[in-house]
Amino acid sequence: MSVVTATTPIRKNSGWRLFLQTVIGRAYPRVIGQQREKSWMFFEVLLPLINVAAYVYVYRAIGAPEDYVGFVVIGGAMIAFWMNVLWSMSSQLYWEKEQGNLALYIISPAPLMAILLGMAVGGMIATLLRAGAIIALGTWLFNVQYVVMNPWQLLAVFVLTMVALYGLGMMTASVFLLFSREAWHYVNLAMEPVYLLSGFYFPLKNLGFWVALGASIIPLSLGLDAMRQLAFRSGPSLGFLSVPLEIGILSVLSVVFLVAARWLLKTLERLAREEARLTENRR
Amino acid sequence: MTTETHLDDLAIKTEALSRIYKIRGAKKGEMRERVALEDINLSIPRGELFGLLGPNGAGKTTLIKILTTLLSPTRGRAWVAGFDVVRESDKVRPRINMVSGGETSGYGLLTVRENLWMFAQFYGIPSRQAHQRIQTLLEMIGLADRANTKSSDLSTGLRQKMNIVRGFMTDPEVLFLDEPTLGLDVQAAREVRAFIRRWMDENPSRTILLTTHYMQEAEELCDRVAIIHEGRILACDTPDHLKQEVQHEAIFQLLVETEQPLNSLALENLPGVLRLHHQWMNGGLQLEISLAEEGVLPLVIGELERQQAHLRSLQKRQPSLEDVFVQLVGLRMEEVERERGNGYHPNTQE
Amino acid sequence: MLRSPAFRSFRMAAWLGWQIESNWTDPFLFAIYSIIKPLAAAGILVVMYRVVTQQAFDTPMFAYLYLGNAFYQYVSAVTTGVSWAVIDDREHYRTLKYIYVAPLNIPLYLFGRGVARFLTTSFAVLIIILFGVGFLKMPLALSTIQWPLLIVSLVLGTLMLGLVGLILAGITLLTARHSYYIGDAVAGALFLFTGAIFPLEVLPAYLRPIGYALPITYWLELMRRALVGRVAQAFPTFSALSDGQLLALLALMTLALGIISLVVFRWCERLARERGLIDYTSNY
Repeated sequence: MSVVTATTPIRKNSGWRLFLQTVIGRAYPRVIGQQREKSWMFFEVLLPLINVAAYVYVYRAIGAPEDYVGFVVIGGAMIAFWMNVLWSMSSQLYWEKEQGNLALYIISPAPLMAILLGMAVGGMIATLLRAGAIIALGTWLFNVQYVVMNPWQLLAVFVLTMVALYGLGMMTASVFLLFSREAWHYVNLAMEPVYLLSGFYFPLKNLGFWVALGASIIPLSLGLDAMRQLAFRSGPSLGFLSVPLEIGILSVLSVVFLVAARWLLKTLERLAREEARLTENRR
Repeated sequence: MTTETHLDDLAIKTEALSRIYKIRGAKKGEMRERVALEDINLSIPRGELFGLLGPNGAGKTTLIKILTTLLSPTRGRAWVAGFDVVRESDKVRPRINMVSGGETSGYGLLTVRENLWMFAQFYGIPSRQAHQRIQTLLEMIGLADRANTKSSDLSTGLRQKMNIVRGFMTDPEVLFLDEPTLGLDVQAAREVRAFIRRWMDENPSRTILLTTHYMQEAEELCDRVAIIHEGRILACDTPDHLKQEVQHEAIFQLLVETEQPLNSLALENLPGVLRLHHQWMNGGLQLEISLAEEGVLPLVIGELERQQAHLRSLQKRQPSLEDVFVQLVGLRMEEVERERGNGYHPNTQE
Repeated sequence: MLRSPAFRSFRMAAWLGWQIESNWTDPFLFAIYSIIKPLAAAGILVVMYRVVTQQAFDTPMFAYLYLGNAFYQYVSAVTTGVSWAVIDDREHYRTLKYIYVAPLNIPLYLFGRGVARFLTTSFAVLIIILFGVGFLKMPLALSTIQWPLLIVSLVLGTLMLGLVGLILAGITLLTARHSYYIGDAVAGALFLFTGAIFPLEVLPAYLRPIGYALPITYWLELMRRALVGRVAQAFPTFSALSDGQLLALLALMTLALGIISLVVFRWCERLARERGLIDYTSNY
């Protein structure tokens, strides 16, 4: 049998091409997995939508102004991205480690940031579907009224929030290089407490200045606050800081988180190598 | 020294490489140290299929982990493809790959082809070339007809073949195979060994470091073999040279029938008897006995008759790597593994 | 009975579940960890309520939603505890196949795996209620608590939630490991229908029948009645029913659920065997 092809030298890309190939490569199983096993649609899109409705009816039950319903809808949609960061990206590294894939990622020339981004991008279909369904159906069912004066600013806030958020997610992911189950539990803690601190269901301002300021380290807090200010009539009066200031802080957070994620991933990988944690399987 | 100039012809080099694990002791908070590797010095030229032979827990996997940039050494240095594995891991990684036996890789919901394509992306191989290469290798290893099967539906043996293709697919300068035939049936193991040999024969610049605890595998495949035990390399040479060390001995296999327990001490104390192992087998007692020279054999047979053990068969055997191991360690490899018994700790495996 | 396979399955699984849930850290951190999530969930509602009503915490409405939310913590905890064990054992520890070949009663094994979360949630619910009474002036007095009703309802409710978990466990046997807890997702959705944080009357008329069909709705009402009878009387949803009638309804629904869940679980189990999914690893 001819084995010529096996001896033909192969081309191997590096740099940004490798980064892009890695993102696509790791996103692929996610996309295909969701295609082959569709039960997530019910559990990950429909059920969260119903959950958001529960918070809408609480406001209705206690007679809140109608804009608050809109706040819940936007907040509920943004939760989808937070879930994507936490469960499809950060803590996924835990499963990769337990199942033996992490070692293969580490020994490959692929940048770990690209692997993480690939996981997130792969989960993005589910995330966008969930967020989109919540916005569209929430708006329609509860008759939410938007007043958008500056769509470009709104888009900029959303994009900046996403960059900072995924940067934060990569920082969290780095912890999994060193720890396993403990890190999984800490990530699990970042659900309800973050819903509370980021003001997913109410204006951030209501946490009081200092708590709200502390919570601003989570990009969703300021991102949501700015988006609400830019999308609702009563938004500006209920906003925490001015939108330009919030955009400024989000820009800083984006840069800081991405740089910190890169540094943390490198540093914790080195520590994990020293302490034999990259391939341990503590189950 | 400049590593590049000195290391150009070497695929792997280690200098006094050691690794110590800290493990939890029996009491709470107590930490103990376990030496997994001690002062390993290896020089493996490019183009060699080098074997590391040793029982489970000898330190083989620890060495592979260090060389594949997954683990830092506690002391000493190591270079792979000319680069320092600690300081230049970014340069080592594009040049290596690794296959571990008994481990799954990839994702159960993806097909064989999809899993392999995904890993090719992590090495920057353009899709078209990746697909061609995957197809060729799948055909070579006899997995082409299962290319579109989900990997979760594969048997252990086929999954291991996929894993092997994953390692070879990126055409690494240095490939690490850690117990590649572990858990495979005889036929599958034979196919895998043939595949490995063919891959080496195709290109003289390729290098493989293979760990195994199967003597026959090391003998059949490797250009040179290092025997490793308790973190130390005890001997390193070609299989033939290693066996020459025990060539002067006469090794006999005897099958005897006996009603009463054999007094093996009496046999071992006979002048000229170097080593003796015995085990029950096929309703009889099998003795494997190493003698300083053939002339000692009548003494052995006489002693057996004195103990009323009747000889059923007698065979002279060529020395194997197992005999080399026994000569170096004093125990057979399986006896070492049995002695380690329950000492397994997930954090300290090998 | 103590030596029966059923009891052994339950006891062994409860022990195992507790080890898995708790032994990753020291007991103090574990206790903090166990209460932070439920407290934060309660905090969200407290802030929402305060924003709109300007701190009127001594109203029946606040007690209604605060207690409803507190006990609702059991819904996701127990259903997830029971159903996640399938994923954990199948894909993480890879022991599900051994559990299946052992002489164990699988439903009771799964119930046992849910015990750890039930215990930690009980601790969290207690803290939430104490916080409500201590800091938010929730009208709850020890002297007016109907202890027998509370205990019977809690036991019956836990069993009912375990059975919901069993249905979800059956579904989990047939699905891949996705990135969410199926119990959390289902509990999150049922939050809308069960009158946990607002009376069913707030829902549009066409959605209310779903709430009336769910045993969780009756259970939450019973828990409120047992703890703060006056608050429950302030809402019309079940005012026509006595405590005994509610309890009987819950018992009947639990019985029906028991039959349904066993049938569903066995059916899913059979399909999983047919499709070879007992030792499936679906990571993607």
